Amino acid sequence: MSCLVRLRLWLLVATAAAGVAGCAHPPPPPVQPWQREYLAKRALRFDGDPLEDHFRQHWWGAREGSDLGFGQPGGGCGCN
Amino acid sequence: MSRRAVTTLLAALGVVLPSVSVRADGEVTIRGAYYREASTRVIQPVVAIDQNLPQGFDVHTTYLLDAITSASANAGTAKDSIFTELRNEVSLGVGKTWNKTRATLGYIYSAESDYWSHTLHASGSQSFWGDTATVALSLGLSFDQATARNIPRTPFCATAPSLNCPLDIYFAGVSYTQVITPTFIGQLDLESAYLDGFQGNLYRTVPNSPMGFENPPEKRLRNAIAARLAYFFPSTETGLQLHYRYYFDVYPGTAPTTMGPNLGAGYLQQPGYDPWQVQSHTIEGRIYQQLSPTLQARFTLRIYHQSQAAFWCDTLGNPSCYPPQGQFSITGTPESTDPKLGPVNTEYPEVKLIWDAEALRDVPFFRWFAGGTFEISYGYYYQSTSFGDAHVLQTGYTMPY
Repeated sequence: MSCLVRLRLWLLVATAAAGVAGCAHPPPPPVQPWQREYLAKRALRFDGDPLEDHFRQHWWGAREGSDLGFGQPGGGCGCN
Repeated sequence: MSRRAVTTLLAALGVVLPSVSVRADGEVTIRGAYYREASTRVIQPVVAIDQNLPQGFDVHTTYLLDAITSASANAGTAKDSIFTELRNEVSLGVGKTWNKTRATLGYIYSAESDYWSHTLHASGSQSFWGDTATVALSLGLSFDQATARNIPRTPFCATAPSLNCPLDIYFAGVSYTQVITPTFIGQLDLESAYLDGFQGNLYRTVPNSPMGFENPPEKRLRNAIAARLAYFFPSTETGLQLHYRYYFDVYPGTAPTTMGPNLGAGYLQQPGYDPWQVQSHTIEGRIYQQLSPTLQARFTLRIYHQSQAAFWCDTLGNPSCYPPQGQFSITGTPESTDPKLGPVNTEYPEVKLIWDAEALRDVPFFRWFAGGTFEISYGYYYQSTSFGDAHVLQTGYTMPY
């Protein structure tokens, strides 16, 4: 493949990519600002009680073998 | 003006206004946990303060005391002596929130009579796609050190002239959270931690073994992938959450031994032997139900299934599972009877009540607590290991100010 052909091929690809980028619109977000009233509910939060999570992580780190051993310091139990 | 236009205008104002008016300056939480199983009791009081500061900054600090009373320092063995340990933990974290970006930096210090830990952690998160998607990255370092008491202890570290056993932990995690519909959210987490150092208990004995004490492999790469879904039914004020987590760990690189325990087919001897290979599956379901405008109940069921570490064996049930002394080098023979490294199955049902204490507003003295939220929970922890089942009671009160 000659240099000229290769250059034309790259130009074609670049032009197509630029066209796609320029014309494509991201889809609208699935939830609009006025539809967010339930998102603050405890049931829809995964980080609602960090102190409870911290206690659970330490407890399970002492009794089960699959905590990551990070963020729950303490060695008397051999938790790591 | 149509009803929909009014609703839209009010909702838009609701999005803008909280940042300038309604937000409390902070909150204080007092919390207590009580854990009791056959040979161990833990009482854990906690105080936490969150303070919002100008220009998007916030500070979080906690003090925690773990009072652990156990039948023995080397839990899980036949030895029986009453043992009480106090662990103090303090943490300080600083956060900064921009429009769609948040960054945090934190430090945790934990001290026991024979174990100290320093942890540094940082995180960053970015929201996009109309604030319905969030990517978060967490990084952490932990430097631990165990210093042996003057009682029988492992010869694998904590031997004269140094009595210290260090453990360094490097942690990284990434998560993606997506609001799918106004009442449906999903999250995906990936976490990994690299551990380098002594990962056992200094005093845990291993009966019928060459050295008599626990000696886990010094290096470990721990990995987890988790998925969470949450759905809310507005008509009944009911929420559902489903969590699943898969965990696996490996020895990073080449383990110093090719020898595993004798689990009935002779001592395993295989090139590339990995002494860890723990795997687990955790599934947890939660139901949130609003019982009245100020009272909510949460029902939880967690089921956990774990396979044993490849180097683990039960030397009480199988006395010849570790090779006789002299057959292998000391450092090349990982061994442990730690129950949590064996096969583990647990189930944990729990019920929790959360009460916004507005009803106390007209009660003398108690009206001081009317702005806060009380919570109490009880759970029963079924364990297949020698630790036995446990009662878990937790209570707390959070007061905004």
